[in-house]
Amino acid sequence: MLTDFINMELVLSVFVIFVKIMIVTSALFLSPLILTWIERKIAAHIQARLGPFRVGYHGLLQAVADTIKILTKEDTMPNNADKWLFKIAPAIALVPAMMVYVAIPFGDTITLPFIGEQTLYISNMDVGLLYVLAIGGLSVYGFIFGGWASNSKYALLGGLRSSAQMISYEVALSFACIGVVMLTNSLNLVDIVNKQTGGWWGIGGWNFFAFPVGPVWFMIFLIAGLAEINRVPFDLTEDEGTLAAGYQVEYSGMRFSFFALTEYVAMITISVLAVLLFFGGWSAPFGLPELPLVWFIVKTSVFIYFFMWLRFTLPRYRFDQLMTIGWKVLIPISLVTLLVTGFMVIG
Amino acid sequence: MAIQTNTDKDKPSFIWGLIKRVLFFDFIKGLIVTGKYSLKRTVSLRYPDDEKWIPYSRFRGALTLNYDSEGKELCVGCELCSKVCPTDCITVVPMEDDTGIGITDRISKSWDWNSTRCLYCGYCEDACPTTAVRLGRDYELAFFSLDDAVKDKNWLLQPHKVPESIEGGVVAKAKFVRSKEGIQVIPNFDKTKTRRM
Repeated sequence: MLTDFINMELVLSVFVIFVKIMIVTSALFLSPLILTWIERKIAAHIQARLGPFRVGYHGLLQAVADTIKILTKEDTMPNNADKWLFKIAPAIALVPAMMVYVAIPFGDTITLPFIGEQTLYISNMDVGLLYVLAIGGLSVYGFIFGGWASNSKYALLGGLRSSAQMISYEVALSFACIGVVMLTNSLNLVDIVNKQTGGWWGIGGWNFFAFPVGPVWFMIFLIAGLAEINRVPFDLTEDEGTLAAGYQVEYSGMRFSFFALTEYVAMITISVLAVLLFFGGWSAPFGLPELPLVWFIVKTSVFIYFFMWLRFTLPRYRFDQLMTIGWKVLIPISLVTLLVTGFMVIG
Repeated sequence: MAIQTNTDKDKPSFIWGLIKRVLFFDFIKGLIVTGKYSLKRTVSLRYPDDEKWIPYSRFRGALTLNYDSEGKELCVGCELCSKVCPTDCITVVPMEDDTGIGITDRISKSWDWNSTRCLYCGYCEDACPTTAVRLGRDYELAFFSLDDAVKDKNWLLQPHKVPESIEGGVVAKAKFVRSKEGIQVIPNFDKTKTRRM
């Protein structure tokens, strides 16, 4: 019999993982459609404008119209570009940004009709945080390759800036994650979240409230994260004023939108990590009912809104200021906080 | 006189400055400003889809020629508007007419207004002895062909787009109409609301 050779349970579990991957990937591909609309609306209302309004209800289908437009655009390439690298760079940027979500838990378990109990993560890695940091850092290759292959001064400068920025802030970001690992004694993201439950009003257990180091770690994480995802005030890689659009300057059509997609996915990643590491993940605050996914999405949305709000509030830093903040401010503060955290854990 | 500088007075103490920096004082201040603006009413209107701005009666829009209460042309073809016009955008050709079209036996044979030359100063309105030429409140004057730039007498004698009885300074509900003749934004003067700009 055929069933003797095939382990049905294994096939089923592989199928479940495959379905989960499909859901997460399609959600990530669709999220920029909504996020661009939200970002444009936030920008508009901060500047007392209306924003997109003509395509669909309150301009909701604007992103769809943009997608159709971008799909019909000519895919241009500079004459002396490194053709293969130029073509593959957007994919190199996008794939690691998406691969991060293999290790990210969206909730603990959920009981579905017909299927039974399912976990809300693709893989529960014991070194989930390390995996996220390692894979997340790979995206920079896409930016550097894109900048190099374009054979344009602006693009090259953008790529160089991007690499310098990533290297500088990866250190501080990792330090902030080490702080969380010290507080929770685990690299497993599910464990990190589960250790943050309980406490005063359901929020006392959050790493953010682990005084005195919690808020400091969070601020270091937030600033380094902002720099890592190239958003204002650290968007020097695509500085419109001086570099036109940085590494994306020669890209058009779908390849350009791949870079935009990468940046949105990276923004979601940092928001998700902030929620998982500092704000108790999917646990419900203030004794409110535990709902699967809802609290996780609410908390993540708050961060995404905050990042967009920040974008239309702050000016851009100068490059030397960026380096100063990275090396002379964040890293020394991280080292001191690391020491304090160590004493806290021992004591 | 020595130049007074406030630098020493405005400079915060080192400790206070440090506290402000650590607590992201200026960032929060900026975020509050933009946050407030994001909750405020927007300045821009949903024009042309949904709303249209009805200007005040003092607004200087497209030129109009007018009739008196008995339906006679007010223009007497005196050419004063043409003389006073700083950009020479008005061309009036007078003629004698005793059929009673005008209020006197002299009317304009043709009365052309070049809308691309006009700077909407309103001198013609001031110069006109019979208040025949008035600046209306129509501001949608775009056209496809340069031949349409010069508006003739028939065009100018059309009734005002915004009736003079309406005070203006309001936002009216409007309808965006696409037709073969072109696009139009038709306001509904009954459904208006005031909006502070």
